[in-house]
Amino acid sequence: MIKVEHLVHTYEGGNSPALRAIDLEIEEGEYVAIIGPIGCGKTTLIKHLNALLIPTEGNVWVDGMNTKDTRLAGEIRQRVGMVFQNPDNQIVGMTVEEDVAFGPENLRLPPGEIRRRVTEALEAVGMGSYAQRHPHTLSGGEKRLVTLADVLAMNPSYIALDEPTSSLDPAGREMVLTLLRGLNKQGIAMIHVTHNMDEITGADRIIVMEDGRIVLSGTPGEVFSGV
Amino acid sequence: MGYKLGQYIPGSSLVHRLDPRVKIAAVMLVSITVLRADAFIVVAVTILLAGITFIARLSLAHLLRAVRPLVIFFALIFLVHLFFFTPGAPSPLPLATYEGLYRGAILTWRFVFLILSAAILTMTTLPSELISGLERCLRPLRPLGIPSHDVAVMVSIVLRFVPTLLQELDQIKEAQMARGADFKAGNLLARMKRVSSLVIPLIRNSILRAEEVAMGMEGRGYRRGPRTYMRELRMTPSDYIILALLVILTGLGVYRW
Repeated sequence: MIKVEHLVHTYEGGNSPALRAIDLEIEEGEYVAIIGPIGCGKTTLIKHLNALLIPTEGNVWVDGMNTKDTRLAGEIRQRVGMVFQNPDNQIVGMTVEEDVAFGPENLRLPPGEIRRRVTEALEAVGMGSYAQRHPHTLSGGEKRLVTLADVLAMNPSYIALDEPTSSLDPAGREMVLTLLRGLNKQGIAMIHVTHNMDEITGADRIIVMEDGRIVLSGTPGEVFSGV
Repeated sequence: MGYKLGQYIPGSSLVHRLDPRVKIAAVMLVSITVLRADAFIVVAVTILLAGITFIARLSLAHLLRAVRPLVIFFALIFLVHLFFFTPGAPSPLPLATYEGLYRGAILTWRFVFLILSAAILTMTTLPSELISGLERCLRPLRPLGIPSHDVAVMVSIVLRFVPTLLQELDQIKEAQMARGADFKAGNLLARMKRVSSLVIPLIRNSILRAEEVAMGMEGRGYRRGPRTYMRELRMTPSDYIILALLVILTGLGVYRW
């Protein structure tokens, strides 16, 4: 379980907080959608979930581990995978398979295990035949799938995604959404940030943010009837 | 698209399959030998490189492409020696001497060999293998403060982002042209000034990109220091034999004086 407790975050040099007192719990295997206008703090919030940002006030606990404890950062980042908006800046390997291997290599796994995980992760996103391709030869949708494989290779319990369908064509979007639902069915919790209402009707829970606060939270039925 | 300088040329020859460490060592040994070059070594190394080229199934055209960008540099070295090396018997050409001709030719060949051996290395070794090889060669230097793992990650990120930055440069150029910029008009100075309208956005974007890349790497558990590798390097008996042969040949070449 991820537990966010009275989280306040003020960026260095910022005069008003980006997040003002967030309280949130995410269960294992849950599909949580976070929506809200640009600048409402969605991205800042999910960056707290794998210790990329540390709370100014309050606490974030991942399976009982406080993100403020820097010694736990490696373990927390293995459990909570993060997929950012621009896949181009997340792919660091010279080939697709080397990129997927980057995470497991950071976990200091033995070579055989890394190879196994890379193959599995690429198969899981349907990119098995792209292993040797160079990142700059891939389409936007394919790059997105590679960043998903990157995260899967770490064996995460949770995946936080920042607008995973932005700049994709409708077919690519549908493919990514189907994949996310499939992974969720296998037990990986999804924290899906978006401002596209129609993407989140299948979520277990919808969280609506505005100006650094959670203004509405509940099942899609509850939230949409509230609107 | 033609092959760029030293670009990897896929193959499965003995040279391609050699351990990258052996190939790196070979380039270093050839370089050492060549620095003590006289006519004998020039001939010996030429034969050696020709043999390797043949085994690796590279063509002469591949090699020529590797040295072509440096032709002016080679010509300059040769001419400087030809005309400014004074001792020795005079030749039919004014100022030039036969001694200068000999020295110039040997020195020029030295540089050509250095470039060629490095080019054969990169043409027969995948960049990722080359980086693994380099990382392992640097490992013994870690107690001296050389962070071999970080160097390897750094080099591979550079190679990963070069094509991306070139694509971005094209986009910036098109955007500027759409707003009326003409990168061909004017004299050299005017054109150079206009290049700044490409370079400045590119640098700005790269700095912003670097921040995101760093965040993405951290999010995937990257931290400085030791990590493991998917690619394992294992020296086979033939790797050891070839390495031993190279060391012996270099020893003979260097100490025969």
